[in-house]
Amino acid sequence: MTAASDRATALTRLTLVEACAAVREGEVTSEALTQAALDAFKAGDAHINASIALEREQALDIARGLDKLRKAGRLLGPLHGIPLAHKDMYYRAGKPCTCGSKIRRTFRPTFTATAIRRLEDAGSVTLGSLNMAEFAQNPTGHNAHFGDCHNPWHVDYCTGGSSSGSGAAVAARFVYAALGSDTGGSIRLPASMCGVTGIKGTQSRVSRHGAMPLSFSADNVGPLARTARDCARVLHTIAGHDPADPTSSTEPVADYEAALNGDLRALRIGIPTNFFFDGADPEVRDAFEVAIKVLQSRGAKTMRLEIPHMDAINTYASIVSRVEGATIHAQWMRARPHDYSMHLAGRLYAGYAIPAVHYVEALSRRGPLLRALGNEVFDKVDVFATPTMRMKVPTLAATDIDAGAPGAIEAFAIIIANTRAINYMGLPSVSVPCGFDANGLPIGFQIQGRPFAEAKILKVADALQQDTDWHERVPVLPAVQPPENGPGAR
Amino acid sequence: MSTNIEDQVEAQARVWSGVAPPHAASRDFAHGLVEAIRGFERARGQLVFEDEPSSFEAALQETKERAP
Repeated sequence: MTAASDRATALTRLTLVEACAAVREGEVTSEALTQAALDAFKAGDAHINASIALEREQALDIARGLDKLRKAGRLLGPLHGIPLAHKDMYYRAGKPCTCGSKIRRTFRPTFTATAIRRLEDAGSVTLGSLNMAEFAQNPTGHNAHFGDCHNPWHVDYCTGGSSSGSGAAVAARFVYAALGSDTGGSIRLPASMCGVTGIKGTQSRVSRHGAMPLSFSADNVGPLARTARDCARVLHTIAGHDPADPTSSTEPVADYEAALNGDLRALRIGIPTNFFFDGADPEVRDAFEVAIKVLQSRGAKTMRLEIPHMDAINTYASIVSRVEGATIHAQWMRARPHDYSMHLAGRLYAGYAIPAVHYVEALSRRGPLLRALGNEVFDKVDVFATPTMRMKVPTLAATDIDAGAPGAIEAFAIIIANTRAINYMGLPSVSVPCGFDANGLPIGFQIQGRPFAEAKILKVADALQQDTDWHERVPVLPAVQPPENGPGAR
Repeated sequence: MSTNIEDQVEAQARVWSGVAPPHAASRDFAHGLVEAIRGFERARGQLVFEDEPSSFEAALQETKERAP
């Protein structure tokens, strides 16, 4: 390894917040960070297939421009000069946006998503687009059209989805952060399976203007990054009302980073006694309990309590996104159903048979169920914590529905069990690494708070990261040829 | 009319949306609705709510984090 490559590796290993400071202080240029990120993709992405399209020359030109601005004493914002890449479902004017699909392979939107614009206005450099589940509709990272995304910790295993490329690219140290989207766990699951941090805010916290819709009621835009502090920086940049998205909240955006002081002495953490640990793998349980002890050592008080109405919440959550997704895809399902992967076409198809009366029941009971949660849980505790996923990270082969893997449909349901209900309730939720299983794959710890308590859940996540080093561990990508079932195999 | 869930899904999707089963395995996905139906059955009469459908956005505000 040369001194130059050592330097590039050192740059890619910085956290986002560290990289921001280095650019701001003139210790490194945006061009150097951008080149290092592009080189990292070039060196490692053949193994994990995290990207769909990179815009190398354009990114370097933008980085050089940002360096000139800095030399002139001007910083665009808190992300000045930082290379990022995003799930390929965020519209950028004139750029291809495939949504991970064959159907939208040539789609070029005419406007830019608000979240992307806010990140770029804050000084970030967009490197390109990242792999994802087709139309953001599977929790594993399989993709029949652009190739499966592979876990950087072991290429035979799932990255999680649907923000598969975002989780993999952040874990592999290709980028400092990436936008994902989360309708049933699609930020938190890849964060958990790839060993990074990911947050979805309260429903309506971030504008969805220019984000491919999946389910109007449950879609969320949010970041995956290496640390809770990095997530706080990115979320703060993109959160807040957007006139272009009337459903976005006018609630003021808190200073998330200011809350990250590690002091948990007044904090009460709930640990569910029902549902969230049903059938949980013992290794997942053990890692969760160790993380709880870490938080207790910082002064947090814990309480075991029941989360009310979980059966109803899960029933309702199970149909809302199905119906809304089926509605969005109806014309394509009539006209070109065979352009979908087998599992997605099958999932959408079932949505057309759900009676409207039950969809309306599910939506109309969302408010009362949230109030019940407020009264029966959040009057007793400040946050509640669960494993992000009950099972250990599965292999791609074991969860490949299209290949007919036995039990794969059932595995999908288990994977999303602890995340989907949170979307139905609209709560903010963050996943942070809390260990590794015997296969060497990460385990995630999930924290939920009241609506608009993003600062509080990030504070807990950050406190955990102050006393653990799970988030600092870096996967070693294979130094050999890509796997036979790797990118391009489909 | 068939009481088989797979047949019912096929009829509903075709009649209401003009969507045909995309492939033979679609019936497996149709079968996945059985658990949701059972969930609705269990919820009948078990939950007490207001008479009027209430706004989820209002509930977000009512239950939100308050400044200390």
